[in-house]
Amino acid sequence: MGEYSDVKPTVKEEFGDPVLYSKPIKEIEEKWKLVPAFLKVKGLVKQHIDSFNYFINVEIKKIVEANAKVTCDADPLFYLKYTNVYVGTPDVDEGFNISKSVTPHECRLRDMTYSAPITVDIEYIKGNQRVSKTGLLIGRMPIMLRSSNCVLTNKSEYELAKMNECPLDPGGYFVVKGQEKVILIQEQLLKNRMIVEESKFGIQCQVTSSTHEKKSRTIVFFKGNKYYMSHNSFTDPIAVSIIFKAMGLASDQEICQYVCPHDLSKFTPTLEECHNLEIYTQEAALKHLGTKLVAKRFVTAASKVKTPVDEARDLLATTVLAHVPVEQFDFQTKAIYLALMVRRVMDAQSSRKAIDDRDYYGNKRLELAGSLLSLMFEDGNWTIKRFRMERQGVTQVLSRLSYISALGMMTRINSQFEKTRKVSGPRSLQPSQWGMLCPSDTPEGEACGLVKNLALMTHITTEADEYPLIRLATNTGVQKVTFVGGEALHSPTHYIVFLNGNILGVVKQYKYLLDSFRMWRRAGKISQYTSIYLNKSQRCIYISSDGGRLCRPYIIVENGVPLVTSTHINEMEKGIGVLRSFEDFLHHGLIEFLDVNEENDSFIACYERDITPQTTHLEISTFTLLGVCAGLIPYPHHNQSPRNTYQCAMGKQAMGTIGYNQRNRIDTLLYSLVHPQAPIVKTKTIELINFDKLPAGQNATVAVMSYSGYDIEDALIINKASVDRGFGRCLVYRNSKCVLKRYANQTFDRVQGPLVDPTSNKVVWKHSILDSDGIVAPGEMVENRQVLVNKSAPVSSAVPGTWAGTSNVEYKDVSASYRNVEPSYIEKVMVSTNEEDSGLIKILLRQTRRPEIGDKFSSRHGQKGVVGLVVEQEDMPFNEYGVCPDIIMNPHGFPSRMTVGKLIELLAGKAGLVEGKFHYGTAFGGSKVQDVSEELMKHGFNYQGKDIFYSGITGEPLEAYIYSGPVYYQKLKHMVQDKMHARGRGPRAVLTRQPTEGRSRDGGLRLGEMERDCLIGYGASMMLVERLMVSSDQCEVDVCNNCGRLGYCGWCNSCKSSGHVSTITMPYACKLLLTELQAMNITARLTLTHYCQ
Amino acid sequence: MSSDSKETAKTPMVYICGECHSENEIRPRDPIRCRECGYRIMYKKRTKRLIVFDAR
Repeated sequence: MGEYSDVKPTVKEEFGDPVLYSKPIKEIEEKWKLVPAFLKVKGLVKQHIDSFNYFINVEIKKIVEANAKVTCDADPLFYLKYTNVYVGTPDVDEGFNISKSVTPHECRLRDMTYSAPITVDIEYIKGNQRVSKTGLLIGRMPIMLRSSNCVLTNKSEYELAKMNECPLDPGGYFVVKGQEKVILIQEQLLKNRMIVEESKFGIQCQVTSSTHEKKSRTIVFFKGNKYYMSHNSFTDPIAVSIIFKAMGLASDQEICQYVCPHDLSKFTPTLEECHNLEIYTQEAALKHLGTKLVAKRFVTAASKVKTPVDEARDLLATTVLAHVPVEQFDFQTKAIYLALMVRRVMDAQSSRKAIDDRDYYGNKRLELAGSLLSLMFEDGNWTIKRFRMERQGVTQVLSRLSYISALGMMTRINSQFEKTRKVSGPRSLQPSQWGMLCPSDTPEGEACGLVKNLALMTHITTEADEYPLIRLATNTGVQKVTFVGGEALHSPTHYIVFLNGNILGVVKQYKYLLDSFRMWRRAGKISQYTSIYLNKSQRCIYISSDGGRLCRPYIIVENGVPLVTSTHINEMEKGIGVLRSFEDFLHHGLIEFLDVNEENDSFIACYERDITPQTTHLEISTFTLLGVCAGLIPYPHHNQSPRNTYQCAMGKQAMGTIGYNQRNRIDTLLYSLVHPQAPIVKTKTIELINFDKLPAGQNATVAVMSYSGYDIEDALIINKASVDRGFGRCLVYRNSKCVLKRYANQTFDRVQGPLVDPTSNKVVWKHSILDSDGIVAPGEMVENRQVLVNKSAPVSSAVPGTWAGTSNVEYKDVSASYRNVEPSYIEKVMVSTNEEDSGLIKILLRQTRRPEIGDKFSSRHGQKGVVGLVVEQEDMPFNEYGVCPDIIMNPHGFPSRMTVGKLIELLAGKAGLVEGKFHYGTAFGGSKVQDVSEELMKHGFNYQGKDIFYSGITGEPLEAYIYSGPVYYQKLKHMVQDKMHARGRGPRAVLTRQPTEGRSRDGGLRLGEMERDCLIGYGASMMLVERLMVSSDQCEVDVCNNCGRLGYCGWCNSCKSSGHVSTITMPYACKLLLTELQAMNITARLTLTHYCQ
Repeated sequence: MSSDSKETAKTPMVYICGECHSENEIRPRDPIRCRECGYRIMYKKRTKRLIVFDAR
């Protein structure tokens, strides 16, 4: 913004006395406190909720309004009109037309959908009269938790607890059939804007138009010195001059004025095309276009009436560049738009700088639940045929492994790019993602860089009304584009103004427009999320108010002074939200939101000390450039960057607390830690996202030293006494579900009491834990193969229609039994009914596990390791105070990983212990090493955090000082108990008779191709035979040496003799191949010779 | 155990309402619904049998 005009005023003129700037700007203390204020108003998943609210309150009405009238071909007088739609609050049908309000938790437990009725008001013709009806139910809409229609909004913690809901749960997801589903944020290339790019044929300008009615793509490109336009409703590319003529720009002069008044030579060949085809009038051009139309698939009576000329004109008006409005077939604005597209291609041909970057984040839009649902509301499906869009994996089940994994899922962004494509552009970190997306949090491997996460303060805009913007623009000197000639469009003094991709007009005093726009936005007169920015090389000003832009708040700096002062912060602090909330900062014009494009047009200082006279904005707090997951890492700025990325992936697998309501939930799988602890070394993000209230990990005392040989390759040594005291102890909850159905023939599933053995008159072992109702009792221990619910289902009657009497129905046993070698305890048994009114039994099973060799642990620095040895406390080293470490970690983990953050965390944690306080390891800040070390020294500890340790085995002091202190350790969900697997003999697959695959089926361990290659290379042929045949699918086969085919029982059926039949051993898979080939009329003949000949 | 099951075979089971915690006697094939508050989720009572845990 510093260099608008070519005549630069002096610094003094523009900014005042330079002496003002020479004095240092005082740092605004505690300005980071704006972040919690922001999160209080916006919340972490505000994007989802805002988007959904906008959809159910505004957009759904717009959609219905756009398709309001239904007419009838048979009766021209008849019509039906939707006058209004409403989405209600979630309820459940109780039968007899009574509905009751439900809570999300009840839906989770009863496998129901948390949904609200959609009702409409209609008006229609009945006979000769107009009839109107109100409140007609047309369907149900799943309701997003904590959205405006949800029962949880604006409830106190107490009320939430009453509803069995965790107050810290962010919401923003749906409950569908008892499952929590998230609609992931989808990233897309922006719509309705010109994008100049390089394609196969050269430079092209592409516009993807998208309106409520139509979606289409228009491309202008250069081929064989002519400019063409291609569109999928025309069979061939068409020279742009013809299109211009068809749009009513009949004279070549007019066309040239719009396209390129200064350099005609490039455009002449295109104009020539018209003359070659003898097209001189609009009529002739339309006639020509009429011959190029793509044949319609469905020919209706209505479409036959139109002549090709009419059809072509219609197409130009509605489908080509669909987002540019055409009224009464006045094509002028559309023609100007098309001319500008040609112009852009020309510019890009002369200077490659004019080519747009597709990966630039200002050229992206994010689709949220609301906009995706609106697509579905229109179309009913996410695979939308008319635009060849294939969407998969848009909704996912919310991962509830830990609180962080759920939060992380809500901020995840999915990119529409194909994962298989080997281009690095879309995957790499774009500078324009700064502050908007977390630079660390992305998965490794396939989806690397395609799946991204929002940063802490990012907000995604929802659509805002255009009308006030148009008025403001016209009042500040924007002239309508139709009023100015083509010359003016291209004069260097005029700037073209765009509003959401459409040309609004032309302005001369662009600086005045920019300034007044920003002024009105800061004054709160127009939506705070509108953005305006200047593109000087294109001589364009872009105003955006569309949805899906990423934006972020900044402190406004005027004349080198930030507008937010310490007094403001104090006012906010005194009563958060009472005296001054985040909204007030916005309303008073102290803070504003900038989107990616406007951010690029601003001078933003990271710290007060960086403020120069040009500076326009100041960063609120630097740590907000990281996301939720990376925010947990203490001192991330001291770590090697990939380590932070690893931690982002592992933080989601850590066990801990998932919510205050975790004991009321009956999930398919739920891990929780018995004694979770808040980390001693916190970050500001940890406090902001309440990780200290729902932690996932424990502060373990770590000694960095070697102990035995069981600590190589990142293995950890853990103290047995610590394990006994509950370190790393976890609960694993699983559920077992049972639905009691009713069938159409009046039969139903039944649950019977335990079976009694008639001889001994005792309950059989399988049923020994059942109550008289045939369901296990809570508290019981279940062992492998014991029955949980003794359910039996009716055998469906063979003849349909015969009324199966209630008395003589045959039942078969379909009991739910427990399958796991390790026993579990029954935590809870729930009995209820689901939406279809059939019985539902959910059983919650619990296992308590203590850490054992092979369990996976990790610190918060991407340093994972498995337990290598559990050592008795007696044998552990101890220091002068008698303190024994919980974990011994091998120092070889440090040099190559360069996780200095972990070393500092240990130091800060230790100082925190001796001082009795929490230390901060916030990114780009936190407690300094020097201060921490001095604190240690004050308490009589070594400055560097090292201690004297004594060997637990000999009692001698160790030769080296040991670096020791507390480090926050996470227990990851991967535990040996769920993984260990071995098999001697076991089940085989039916078809191939080879051992089954996978642990769950007690499968064999595969000797794969590469292992086979080793054996071949070594020449161990007998071992190969043993591995691949004897231990797998050995089979005795009778082969006839006369005909070479397979026989059986020593008899060859084709030779009708047993003379040449001999028995050989081969893999069954081979025998299967031979017989299958035979079935396809291919005979494989075997020739046998004796071994020794 | 055997005598236990004979006795209880006829008597209905007692379930606890998830909302008001009142005890409800529900026979098999009865609709599952609290008599006090109309809530549809019931929980089973804890087993009467002795359960021994390993203190590890």
